[in-house]
Amino acid sequence: MVISRRLVVLIAIVALFVGLLGTGVVSAQRLARENTFYIAGHQWGPPTSFNPVGRGSVSWPINNKLYIYETLYAFNLVTGELDPILSEKQEWVEDDMVYRVTLFEGTRWQDGEPLTAEDVYYTLDLGRRYPVSYAAWWNYVDDVRVVDDRTIDVVLDPEKPHRTMIVQDLGTIRILPKHIWQAIEDEGQSPQDVANMEPVGSGPYKVLNYNPQQITLVRDDNYWGQKYFGTPAPDYLAHPIFKSNDAGNLALERGQIDFSQQFVPEIWKMWEDKGLPVGTWYDDEPYYMPGSIPSLFINVHRPALDNVLVRRAIAYAIDYAKIAETAMSRYSIPARSSMIIPYSVPEQQYFSEADAQKYGWEYDPAKAVDILENELGATKGNDGIYVLPDGTRLGPWTVTCPYGWTDWMTSLEVVAASARAVGIDIRTEFPDAPVWTDHLQAGDFDLTMNTPAGGQGPALPWTRFRDVLDDRDIPPLGQTAYRNWNRFSHPDVAGLLDKAAFTSDEAALTEIYQALDRIVMENIPVIALEYRPWEFWEFNETYWTGFPTSENPTAPPQHNLAGVRLLYVIKKK
Amino acid sequence: MGEVITLLFRSRRFIIGAALFTLVLAFGVIGPRVTSKDPFLMAGGLFDPPSEGSMLGTDNLGRDVFTQLMYGTGTSLLIGFVAGIVATVIGVAIGTLAGFKGGVIDELLMGVTNILITIPSIVVLILLSVAVKGRSATTMGVIIGVTAWPWTARAVRAQTSSLKTREHVDLARISGYSTVELIVKEIMPYMFSYIFMAFILQFSGGITNEATLSMLGLGPYQTVSLGVMLHWALLWESVRTGAWWAFIPPVLFLAVTSFSLMLINAGMDEVFNPRLRKS
Repeated sequence: MVISRRLVVLIAIVALFVGLLGTGVVSAQRLARENTFYIAGHQWGPPTSFNPVGRGSVSWPINNKLYIYETLYAFNLVTGELDPILSEKQEWVEDDMVYRVTLFEGTRWQDGEPLTAEDVYYTLDLGRRYPVSYAAWWNYVDDVRVVDDRTIDVVLDPEKPHRTMIVQDLGTIRILPKHIWQAIEDEGQSPQDVANMEPVGSGPYKVLNYNPQQITLVRDDNYWGQKYFGTPAPDYLAHPIFKSNDAGNLALERGQIDFSQQFVPEIWKMWEDKGLPVGTWYDDEPYYMPGSIPSLFINVHRPALDNVLVRRAIAYAIDYAKIAETAMSRYSIPARSSMIIPYSVPEQQYFSEADAQKYGWEYDPAKAVDILENELGATKGNDGIYVLPDGTRLGPWTVTCPYGWTDWMTSLEVVAASARAVGIDIRTEFPDAPVWTDHLQAGDFDLTMNTPAGGQGPALPWTRFRDVLDDRDIPPLGQTAYRNWNRFSHPDVAGLLDKAAFTSDEAALTEIYQALDRIVMENIPVIALEYRPWEFWEFNETYWTGFPTSENPTAPPQHNLAGVRLLYVIKKK
Repeated sequence: MGEVITLLFRSRRFIIGAALFTLVLAFGVIGPRVTSKDPFLMAGGLFDPPSEGSMLGTDNLGRDVFTQLMYGTGTSLLIGFVAGIVATVIGVAIGTLAGFKGGVIDELLMGVTNILITIPSIVVLILLSVAVKGRSATTMGVIIGVTAWPWTARAVRAQTSSLKTREHVDLARISGYSTVELIVKEIMPYMFSYIFMAFILQFSGGITNEATLSMLGLGPYQTVSLGVMLHWALLWESVRTGAWWAFIPPVLFLAVTSFSLMLINAGMDEVFNPRLRKS
């Protein structure tokens, strides 16, 4: 009797334990594998916020995906065009001072309420009233007007008619339902302070459930856009939450993940060595489409580093091909001496090969030594490190990036080794991300690595040049700066940037961007180290096929924004 | 001394341990001095497999793994050695003082020791490593050493408490020896074998602690160690990509080094431990 009671208690405890543990697993198992599209690489901890205007980190899929909330349109990285989302057309009117956006007919929220120009106005106006992520968009906007139910006008600031910035940023703002968010405000709450764990958007998917192991979305078969775009193929979208990159990569390799945004070292081995149905945008090097330029920022106010010839010697010393091969796992071509991505993406049209040859640099250690010895008159000390004629030793300088950013850490190991090889003492240091950020923003570094103006949009490379060169509104060293971290200054920059911002003449733009690029090449405040995809983009075709590739670009290689189109082109196997 | 060595070499464990350790030591200390290769030279590509020019292939930065292994072994041995010395010196100093003096000093020192034992040393190690800027191999050794002494202190304190009641110590005390003289001349010589064995264990612990810290990214800067090699292999998913040459050699060397030191310790125990010796 005693034994059987113990047994019952034991069974009850075990059942409870298994039940608790299994909650997430069971909900995941209920999804039929062939109807579920598994995604990885966007969420690393339990979901805490589905608020697109919230503070702090926002969970998948609200972080720039258009599955639940939608933008008016989305920049397509391949075509350079704006793909329609909520709006069927955009046009410049009233002497190109007003950007008129017209919504598709029949747009509605997932709760059945119509989505109108009032919702668009309400969302944009939030940026005027709260410090949301797009508040800076209003720096260039005078006003927003509701013309009718489906039409909204964005009126430019006549002092700063920066059209590409307006267009770029407007394409990233997720439109919110006024009837829900106004009610939050009416209750006295800030829209930024709610977690919004039951989001109501206008997109093709809704949140089905979430737990610390997985977030699952279910297709909304009443989606307003079906008559324009069709129906996305997967019934469910699921994002398992992995603890580390390698766990996610292993799951991709095994076909447990269909679509990933993770850095996978040596991904080609998955199909070349193991014969797996894994693919990327390009089936050969560099495998991914470039989207940003992680660069070396040099503190131009430190002794010796303030000498452009020293910076030039460093630029010639760095083995860019080695960085592309090792740190970027062959996912980049060797970096050129430019702040313009010279291949694959729309901005390549501004790159000047002639300027790069004339004013730029490439990996040439002998040239670096020549600059040090003959142009600077430096002499090599017994320790193999050069000393300038005024007695300044070239180092030790530290070059930093946050710990754990594997590809950047590796890039900097190459930078340090390359510099030491020619006689410049550069050493790596990898502090924790918050420490690194503090030092970066205060300008307290010798050399550091960062990406100027990441992202995708029609305003590139303008934003990149601004982040690297523009010293307007930049606080002095010691205070917090969000760009131009090394406080570089040049008298021609402001004029060129403003001219580029306010013109849409492509020939004039090319001339201006090339002039800005020459300033970079002649002054070297920053050195491009590699081209990194803005989003890694790889897939496994075990369960789903028809992924777009460079050969068959039915959708751009993006997860964010315009990448939503992928769900309409894939098919069940 | 000669007798002790003769005794030691009667232990098979000691002989095997010493032989293995000598090989590791030669590889890590002499190797880097005879090779002309630079462990930081990025001569190859990303995880090039073993080939004629590169016996163990290259790592994620295109550096020769064999050369890295030689330098890395040397660095790990240095860190273990420094950690062993620091932990042993602190442990012996605190242990003998507490055991010999007794009373309030004993309570106080053992109180601190016991508190430190209850705190997982890895936590202290991580905090200290994060706090120290520009970690060198020697600094790493010191950091590991200052967190590893408590067990030695407790054991030495127990030995000292027992030894101090012996007659020869009383005699010396009556003869007017100072506390330091009593500890150094009358107590320490009787514990020397024990202290040396404790050092061997601390040495071994120091090497594995270095590997743990380095794998977490808290290893020494501007140098290569077995832990640093594993750190890069782990970050670059060498297991998934099949680059066995990046992680098996350092793991093997860590295992062989620790194993050889354990064998040396066990061999010494056979010789110095009266209970074992009798049997």
